[in-house]
Amino acid sequence: MAGHAMYEWVYIAAVVGILIWVGASSWDVERIIEEVPAEAETIKVIGQQWFWSFEHADGTKEINELHVEQNKPYRFEITSMDVNHNFNVPDAVILMDAVPGRINTLWNLFSETGEFLIQCREYCGFSHYNMKAKLFVEPAVTPVAAEPTSTPITTPNATVVPTQQEEQQQEESAIQPSGNATSPAAGGGGGGVTLTILEGSSIQGSPDYDPDALTVKKGDKINVDNVDTMPHTVTNGESGSDPNSGKLFDTSIINGGASAEIDTSTVDAGTHPYYCMVHPYMTGSLTVE
Amino acid sequence: MVLEIKKPRPLWEIIFSTHHTDIGLLYIITSISFLMMGGALALAIRAELFLPGQQIIPDPNTFHRFFTVHGTTMLFLWAIPFASGVGNYLIPILVRYKDMAWPKLNAVAFWMIPPAAAMVWIGFADMGWTAYPPYSTLRAPGPSAELWIFGLKILGLSSVLGAINFIVTMLKCKHPDLPIMKMSLFAWSILAISFMILVAIPTFAAALIMMYTDRLGVTGFFNPAMGGDPIAYQHLFWFTFHPEVYIFLLPAVGMLYEMIPKFSRKPIFSYQSGVIAFLLLSTIGFASWAHHMLATGMSFTEKTVFMVGTLAAVPASAMHVFNWIATMWGGRIKFATPMLFGIGGIMLFFASGAGGVVNTALPLDFITHDSYWVVGHFHLILMGTVSLTFTGFIYYLFPLITGRMYNEKLGKIHFVAAFIGVIVVFMTQHVLGLMGMPRRYFDYIPLPEWIAMNQIATTGAWLVGLSYLLMLYNLLKSSAKGVAAKMNDPFSIGEQYYDYRRRQPHH
Repeated sequence: MAGHAMYEWVYIAAVVGILIWVGASSWDVERIIEEVPAEAETIKVIGQQWFWSFEHADGTKEINELHVEQNKPYRFEITSMDVNHNFNVPDAVILMDAVPGRINTLWNLFSETGEFLIQCREYCGFSHYNMKAKLFVEPAVTPVAAEPTSTPITTPNATVVPTQQEEQQQEESAIQPSGNATSPAAGGGGGGVTLTILEGSSIQGSPDYDPDALTVKKGDKINVDNVDTMPHTVTNGESGSDPNSGKLFDTSIINGGASAEIDTSTVDAGTHPYYCMVHPYMTGSLTVE
Repeated sequence: MVLEIKKPRPLWEIIFSTHHTDIGLLYIITSISFLMMGGALALAIRAELFLPGQQIIPDPNTFHRFFTVHGTTMLFLWAIPFASGVGNYLIPILVRYKDMAWPKLNAVAFWMIPPAAAMVWIGFADMGWTAYPPYSTLRAPGPSAELWIFGLKILGLSSVLGAINFIVTMLKCKHPDLPIMKMSLFAWSILAISFMILVAIPTFAAALIMMYTDRLGVTGFFNPAMGGDPIAYQHLFWFTFHPEVYIFLLPAVGMLYEMIPKFSRKPIFSYQSGVIAFLLLSTIGFASWAHHMLATGMSFTEKTVFMVGTLAAVPASAMHVFNWIATMWGGRIKFATPMLFGIGGIMLFFASGAGGVVNTALPLDFITHDSYWVVGHFHLILMGTVSLTFTGFIYYLFPLITGRMYNEKLGKIHFVAAFIGVIVVFMTQHVLGLMGMPRRYFDYIPLPEWIAMNQIATTGAWLVGLSYLLMLYNLLKSSAKGVAAKMNDPFSIGEQYYDYRRRQPHH
């Protein structure tokens, strides 16, 4: 029997040897990966049912879209506003739980440009499967050789930031003038209709759109007021899987407290269901006469 | 009663009996029923994922409820009760005592299961079987969540009572002529898990109460707005449920120790190494719980500790595998249905164990975490190893339970279909996970690779489903019309079988 026990000892020694090798090399790789470069720029990542918001070091905010530069280290500070989420970019092996009350960090350097998927990997309720965002890795804006006046660190920032601010300004300008335009129209009896997104709409089962079934005359402008604290949309269609979703009308994201406008002059007569892209259980219908 | 060939009794006599074989039978029948019900949910989930978009399940909430109840059912209403059932049947026989130590307590422990199961199934909660707060405490709709909490509370109590009964039966009521180091390795496995249940379950029981009071809003253990921490729940949860993985696994290991030597017609290669491996697994199993939480933002030191704790459990599992292979080596093996399932279980145990090493290697965990890789990995161990071995043991005990033989040809067809099906579903899910598909998704991005992988997995799942329907047919038909088994050696292997006279109730 002694010879037989010998085989077992050799076998166990081999298994233990493999495990020590796996453990030691994992430890070593992880140790290197976890070291955040000092020059990494911080991006705050906030998960909420069911969208992602991002805040850059310069204060620029983005929702469901994240623009970063190629070959530049970023440090992500990840947290959540409600339940557990998981910030995941599968192509970049970014994966970290977003836990309310905690800030988790990890860092990455994106070596390839392009558009990548950001998804949620921790079960978070109704739209878990749909809690997606886009990551845009853009080529670093190399400072033109003729103008090396500014310091090399601030230059890329200075060049990228305006584009993002412009985007936001455009977004805001798209909302604000229309908001201004409806009030006089409504005052002048031009058929302005208001659709209110009630506070607490994001919680499933609570009253959401007021009125739920809205009837307007073709050509009316609908002023959408979001009095909730969460972002919402008014998007035509039954749900996100509806192929015609967003083709007739779509406000895109309206932040909490903001408003938007729907112009019905391009919408065909008839009854059109609509929903909120962020919270698909928020539904209503719009009848155009 | 068809199940009693020698001395038929009315059904109510079995239902209200406190005899260990009757309770064992009730446990086994209940657990097989829940295997079928949980399996039906799994097939619905796979059918939903056959194509992207909404298919047969009307909305995401229903889908979430399906996977929650599927998980809860398979773990607590199939794996645990089945092990208790076989334990009830065999432990008194193996330690040569007339019954369990406390027959009435035994009946009470069983009869807690049906109401608890009803609560889980009527509630049909949507929190996932892990029920992580803050979702489970702040957002999950009631009363389904409350029913789930109380259902699990009762199931936990039932396992604790069963565990106490097993420990006392083995340590106090064992025949004086039977030294503990000659006790069957299956009995050792039940002894090991009974101690693990006593240590592990109270933690989760406490977490359930905290979750309930959090839901009532009177406490904020897991609510950051009230000074709590959602991660605290995950520690309490996994402190119970990582050891619980070994509680599912060890009975299967013990069953393999019952079957492998008999069908190989050889004694166990090393009894001592089997016992040592049980003791190692049941202690080291408590040192690895947080490897389920490597991505919750733990420090590098914590992650290293739990990686080492996880890797440390592997040699003990490897000792079992070595023991089985060495026992089979050079034996005149009879490939009857139970042995086939056993060998299949060992092969998949090796595969899932290797996958587990990959999971715990820190940098790789961040690729696989919460993806379909994880789903494939734990199903490979729970379906591939635990459930296939349990299924083999159903066939193995069939002559003892019914006094008849099952249809061997149908049994072999069942094995081939189930084994291939399991590999097709769960190996594919490993690949799907590496492609980045997260688990618990009602709908997925229509990438051609993801669609193809999901379709292969669904096909495999339906193959497994059909093979288990075949088993059901085989068991039902054979228990009514099967040929009478030779009770001293029903598998014609020249080895001693269990004493059938034990089926005669003495009270």
